[in-house]
Amino acid sequence: MKGPIISGAVILAGVFIFLKFLLPLFTAPLPASLIYLYLALALSGIMIYGTMSAPSLEAMMGPVYRFLSGQGQSGMGHMARLAVLVMFPLLVGWQTYSSLAPSDLPPAENRTIHPAPPGEFVGLSNPYPKTPENIMMGKGLYAAYCSPCHGANFDGKGTAAPGFNPPPADFTDPGTIAQLQEAYLFWRIKKGGVGLPVEGMPWKSAMPRWEEELPEEFIWKIIMGEYDGAHQSPRTWEEEE
Amino acid sequence: MLNGLGSLRTISIIGLFGVLGFSSAFASEPPASEEPGSVSVRMYQLEGSLPVDDPNSSQWDSVPGSEFNLAPQVHWPPRIQEVTVKSVKAKGVHNGQELAILVEYDDPTEDAGDAAALEFMVGDKPAHFAHGQEMLQVEGGPVNIWFWKKESGQAVDMSAKGFKTLETQPRQDVQGKGVWQNGTWKVVFSRLLKTEDEQDVQIEPGEWKSVAFAIWDGAIVDGLVKEKGGQKAVSTWWYIRAEPSADNSIFGWVILGLALAAAFELVIVRKLRKGQSV
Ligand code: HEC
Repeated sequence: MKGPIISGAVILAGVFIFLKFLLPLFTAPLPASLIYLYLALALSGIMIYGTMSAPSLEAMMGPVYRFLSGQGQSGMGHMARLAVLVMFPLLVGWQTYSSLAPSDLPPAENRTIHPAPPGEFVGLSNPYPKTPENIMMGKGLYAAYCSPCHGANFDGKGTAAPGFNPPPADFTDPGTIAQLQEAYLFWRIKKGGVGLPVEGMPWKSAMPRWEEELPEEFIWKIIMGEYDGAHQSPRTWEEEE
Repeated sequence: MLNGLGSLRTISIIGLFGVLGFSSAFASEPPASEEPGSVSVRMYQLEGSLPVDDPNSSQWDSVPGSEFNLAPQVHWPPRIQEVTVKSVKAKGVHNGQELAILVEYDDPTEDAGDAAALEFMVGDKPAHFAHGQEMLQVEGGPVNIWFWKKESGQAVDMSAKGFKTLETQPRQDVQGKGVWQNGTWKVVFSRLLKTEDEQDVQIEPGEWKSVAFAIWDGAIVDGLVKEKGGQKAVSTWWYIRAEPSADNSIFGWVILGLALAAAFELVIVRKLRKGQSV
């Protein structure tokens, strides 16, 4: 009698374990909603199979119906039935609430940190040789113009940094300038936050538009000083696929 | 035994849809709790008149506030490398008609040049936090600035769209009142939620807007005013909204959901009992 229910449950558990734990070993984890959808599909498959003929229907659904109707039940069975009957409307009520309740949170921010640069900045290379003098000059300019935000240690912890959202980039973090080419930095430094495309949310960025204040020579040398000071190296053309 | 294949089919199909709908509803992930990065100003709804003239009113005590860090203005010349005020606390209230925002911060001395300002984006186009300065790839909008000065004891309603475009609006809609006590400034800005002026930010309860803060310490240092004009403490954009009044219709739907689920159970159980007792 209990056979089909138990094998159905085993199949469902197997599907769940596969989707939730085994699949992520090979690919990105599935979102919870997709897992539920597949489980519901598996369940409907089991139900259809189980209800194909009268005997199989009875074998599968009989115990369920007897449990729900509550006839001839006592003790634990009785309590379990009551619990199921009470929980179901409560869950429906809770689901209704959580799907209707207006979100109380500020809009989510999905700022693209490294949007594509404008065409004229692609492929430029630093025209100044990496001599100790040039690097030193770049570091001096960095200390004067950039360190209040990006920090004397290139770590994004300048004295002005706490007031800005998004915060000034931390150049020692492998996720910032180590990912970028010098030409990209040249664009970002020249045009600043206001030069970003819409997905970079330029209206929020405190990064100044340095072309208004610094000649290109200074910017190229600052880039050298920046990489040297942060102990990073620029991404080069050969690494591009 | 079981009563007829037909009604069982029906019941199992209904049940199937129930399970499908239920599991997909269940899959809606719970909302994330408020993260530090998403701090905002919330103007809570009060009944009756607002404490617009009294920064020390006990009405403010019942309202939670949020704190925002400020930075010396090093974004654009004339820069300043060090400022007196490192953060502000902001609280807000509204009564469906009018709003009041209390800005509170530490400033050891009361000086004629002390000042505080709130900045808002106006309209649908995003505006750069630095006076709506021009963006190169995005068409920006204007900003509305509420500028309170200790010297005049008043708040001025201003507009800007780009550097050097800041001007006093022809139509003034904002009030300001500041009180300094024991090293703390408390400044209340107030206005109607909505005005007739298209240069103004319009506040619709439930809608998120963007706000930024600026503070000037007008102390005299070596014969000069320490902070004035572009030399000030600033923040970038944060979110602000007037809290909407509770929507009680949701509870109606919840009760309806509960009742439908209970009725569904009742029908099934009765049907099953009939089936089995035959
Ligand atoms: C007023 C503060 C401020 C100053 C001064 C400043 N920056 Fe920035 N910078 C920022 C902020 C905030 C960001 C992050 C937002 C953005 O990407 O626009 C940033 C981002 C950057 C980036 C992009 C990093 C990345 O991973 O995308 C570079 C490069 C950069 N700054 C270089 C400089 C240089 C060089 C100077 C000095 C000439 C400088 N900045 C001065 C605030 C500042």
